[in-house]
Amino acid sequence: MDHSKQIQEIASRLFAENKIDYFVGYRQNSFDDTQVPFLITDPAEIPKLVFTERSVFNLSNYLKPDHTKRKRVGLVVKGCDSRALNLMLTESQVKRENVYIIGICCEGVLNEKGEKAQNCVECVMPDPVVYDEILGTASGKREYIVNADIKELAQKALTERADYFENIFENCIRCNACRHSCPLCYCAKCCIDQETSTLYHGANTSSAGMHALMTWSLHLAGRCVDCRNCEKACPSHLPLHLLHKQNEMVIYENFQQHLAGMEKDDRGAFYKYSLSDPDDFIL
Amino acid sequence: METEVKKAQGTMVSAENPDITAPADWQPVIMGILCNWCSYAGSDLTGTSRIQYPPNIRIIRVPCSSRVDPWFIIKSLQTAADGVLISGCHPGDCHYISGNYYARRRFLVTKKLLNFIGYHENRVQFSWVSAAEGPKFAKVVAKVTEDIKQLGPLHRYKKENF
Repeated sequence: MDHSKQIQEIASRLFAENKIDYFVGYRQNSFDDTQVPFLITDPAEIPKLVFTERSVFNLSNYLKPDHTKRKRVGLVVKGCDSRALNLMLTESQVKRENVYIIGICCEGVLNEKGEKAQNCVECVMPDPVVYDEILGTASGKREYIVNADIKELAQKALTERADYFENIFENCIRCNACRHSCPLCYCAKCCIDQETSTLYHGANTSSAGMHALMTWSLHLAGRCVDCRNCEKACPSHLPLHLLHKQNEMVIYENFQQHLAGMEKDDRGAFYKYSLSDPDDFIL
Repeated sequence: METEVKKAQGTMVSAENPDITAPADWQPVIMGILCNWCSYAGSDLTGTSRIQYPPNIRIIRVPCSSRVDPWFIIKSLQTAADGVLISGCHPGDCHYISGNYYARRRFLVTKKLLNFIGYHENRVQFSWVSAAEGPKFAKVVAKVTEDIKQLGPLHRYKKENF
């Protein structure tokens, strides 16, 4: 899955035709074989653009006004990234005419250990759902698989699970990198910052970590596309996907097999309802 | 210090945290978040009908059950509450037509996620109570209070412990 040449050609064409102000792609890291997001305004930097199975990050995140200042952007998206972008378009965070999307039919990216990443093994949509140009051959929608870690954890006893998650929340340093790296966390003010507002509440405890991560994951429930940008950004290497995949599983099983960002103009699962939604848990 | 005293004479064991116990006469604090149009009026009817219900519930009025952000539940469990009861209009009776349908989706996901990270499923409960259902409200509160008494005090992630 090496599309570096094609992406370079497309980028230089877009700059030549003056269709874009920014191009967002990937660049080789200087010290190892990993890649980093690469934002360019100068066509002279185009030869540095690459795309291989090491291109792990979700570049839709760079459509936030902080990065590209609502200008015209060309960007590279994989299947999951395009779902996030689709949601951003639906939620009016970015104008369709301002983005030129190069969709890539993804064959799965590698994790830090060099194996195929878990979210790629369990991927439901490797092809881009929104694009101007498509590279590679589409392989179509796949069947939904319940996350292996979720299944394993669900088997454990309540207290065991509680201890496991307390350890996770304890290790959260609350740097908010998960929030900043998420393309769907775009609120100008965030309610989880309330806990940071005073000296007392700002203390970094597992309680504050639980509050921050749980609120964050529940606000993303029904919208998370499982790109795992948050997990890649987390300096404490927390398994943040557990919270999101749990929500995704409950939503898929109970709400008409809803998966976020798969269709145009389809908002999150919590923006619609069905009269037949389960309510056996309500007294 | 307080927890240690409780431990010495304790008989109630926390469901999430077996190390934590409380005296037999321990009373839980339950956060009740009620919708203005049905459940709040229902609880009012319970009072005006002179029906007794456990005083453990602390009621907050919200415009609609869909006003309840999962964040409220997390904040309650993190601060004072040992349990949360959220109540709204019956499906189809919402003052805002469809608010409780949206709320229902959120509640299911919130409940499952809280259970997944290690809260007992009875800590957070939901009910539909209409403005005419005074006796039902008393029954619901009694049931929820009893459930949470069984579970014992909530200790994990409580802010006061840090």
